[in-house]
Amino acid sequence: MSPMLALIRKECLLLLRDPHALAVLFIMPILFLVLMAAALSNYLRDEPPPLDLVLEAPQQSEASLFFRQALQEQLPGSRVLANSDEALPHIILTEDFNEKLLDTPHIGPALSYPARIDKQTRQRLRAAVNIALAQTRLLAYLEDGDALPQDMDAEQRLQLIRQRTQSQISELQVLASGELSGKANASQLSVPAWLIFGMFFVALPMAGGFQREQQSGALLRFRALGLSPSILVLSKLLPYVAINLVQFALLLTIGIHVLPLLGLSGLSLPGAPAAYLLLALSLSLAACSLGLFLASLARSGEQALLLGGGINIILAAIGGIMVPKSVMPEAMSQLAEISPMSWALDAFLTLLVGQGSLADIAPDCARLLLFALVLGGGGLYLFRKRVQQTQWTTHY
Amino acid sequence: MANCCWYSSVLELRGVSFRYPCADTFALHGIDLQLQEGQCLGLLGSNGAGKTTLLALLSDTLAVQQGEIRWDGPRSLGLVPQQLAFYAELTVAENLALFADLYRLHGAQRRQRLELCIASSALEDKLQRRAARLSGGEQRRLNFAIGLLQPARLYLFDEATVGVDAGSRQLLLDAVARLTDEGHGVIYTSHYLDEVERVAGRILLLHEGRVRLDVDKQQLLDGGHGLLLEWPEQVPEGFQALLGQLQLNADALPTGLRIDNLDSQQLLAITQFIAAQPTPPSLLRFGRPSLEQLYLSLNGGRL
Repeated sequence: MSPMLALIRKECLLLLRDPHALAVLFIMPILFLVLMAAALSNYLRDEPPPLDLVLEAPQQSEASLFFRQALQEQLPGSRVLANSDEALPHIILTEDFNEKLLDTPHIGPALSYPARIDKQTRQRLRAAVNIALAQTRLLAYLEDGDALPQDMDAEQRLQLIRQRTQSQISELQVLASGELSGKANASQLSVPAWLIFGMFFVALPMAGGFQREQQSGALLRFRALGLSPSILVLSKLLPYVAINLVQFALLLTIGIHVLPLLGLSGLSLPGAPAAYLLLALSLSLAACSLGLFLASLARSGEQALLLGGGINIILAAIGGIMVPKSVMPEAMSQLAEISPMSWALDAFLTLLVGQGSLADIAPDCARLLLFALVLGGGGLYLFRKRVQQTQWTTHY
Repeated sequence: MANCCWYSSVLELRGVSFRYPCADTFALHGIDLQLQEGQCLGLLGSNGAGKTTLLALLSDTLAVQQGEIRWDGPRSLGLVPQQLAFYAELTVAENLALFADLYRLHGAQRRQRLELCIASSALEDKLQRRAARLSGGEQRRLNFAIGLLQPARLYLFDEATVGVDAGSRQLLLDAVARLTDEGHGVIYTSHYLDEVERVAGRILLLHEGRVRLDVDKQQLLDGGHGLLLEWPEQVPEGFQALLGQLQLNADALPTGLRIDNLDSQQLLAITQFIAAQPTPPSLLRFGRPSLEQLYLSLNGGRL
């Protein structure tokens, strides 16, 4: 076996026998992926969840019954109860709801929410009440003007009002560019985010392995053998690029096949496979170059652990991995642009959410490759220096 | 310098000096050395004498600043450093296979060298065990085997047997002796001077970066029979006067005295004096000095 292949084989064996490295590279991102997809599933779901709410109508009238029907239609799957002992949102109609429908200005129903009801649900309820109320008032206007046939039942009236109040709205988006995290569902956001996070964690085993190699004296033997630093660097980079590609394939597979089994929305991969391959390689080279740089920079195993872990967490925090960029304030989302994790996530969202093509993600991949070039170059320079500084040491 | 004119030299050092950055003094200064094939050089010196710097220069992990190191033929070096230079999470067999690949050993040569190194280090039963789970002595033996595996003209051993039990040490020293028998050059440094005495044919003593002594071991040890004396406290009163009467000189050792070139009458007079003392000596030995005794004497008592 050639020295290069022997060194690659050694690196793979060491990695396979390091349970901590395997946990950091595979178990941690998988756990994060599933947990965060579940945690965000309600917030970022495509269809809003059904609600339980109470509609208090002191006076049962045709108008209040119509309002209930219209409200129910605005909240599909939700239960609109007459009363409940539980703490639920309440919509309280006035006692003279029927008589005051045509008043201008009009005093509408009162809404009350338990403290646990979030802002988004409140907005949704408010919108549903507004539409149901507008439809009820339209019905009242039509009846007042004798514009409705007398023999129409309640269901037919509702159909008619729906027709009169609905419009075909054309919704067009330029999906392959711009901020897409706000439009992504939980899986489209969590799977790539934690995949990127996990891939960047190759820095830890890379740095730890290099430190052990230097401290054990194996590096001294390599130096005395005249092995070039380039061979040593390549023998370290190639196995970790392969590990990154396995991570990429495994986590996407979990997103596609396992998340639906857990009741979460599954991932689909629109677009050309070549685009995903380009993204995987760019991302992997960026992650491994950062790993090489940190491995060569650290002076001890502890330093490598702190540097690798700390820098990854900071890059993830500012890069939209932990908190979607769509909910960040403007200044923070501008700061995110310095994180390679953010570039990778943008490219992912362009493919997954924006139906983008290889050309659409090329700028983000180019940034990742440039990052890999700069950090890789710096890492190689530092690595050479560290190898040259490896000395014959005396313990006794 | 010892000369073995019928052997060709493995390497030659001429005026080699080295000073570490920011150091005031040279770690090595003007070292001249020629090592012959089949010669084992015992490298001695106290801490900071320059041994490690010399090994680092020979292994090319430090660059020569002044002078030159000239190899007779291509540089060819096997080394056993103090550090356990292997992978703890690989098995013994995997470590040996890795380094065999790095040494570019193939086919029959690879098989033969692996068998030789495994046998020399008594690791036959440990091949499938992870290096991390070997005892300290077994790890030393693996470190030794990896160094020995490389086909080389010169082997460097730096404290190769620390922590190794007596039986295994015997095996390793036999392997070193076999290297010199086969015509390889060996530089062996250890704080176990009995080992150096056993394997080395030539002794090089470094002191503050300079060669203090470079001599054939036998010549050094055969320097004369002498009397070694040590007392638990101080030298008895009247002993120096007796030596004066007998026209003998005594070299002071860190823990006693050494008296060389004395005849039987002088020896008799000294033993009669000792017998008359109320406190007997803690050491009374007549014969050839050990390397350790000579080393302590030459090096001012510093190990």
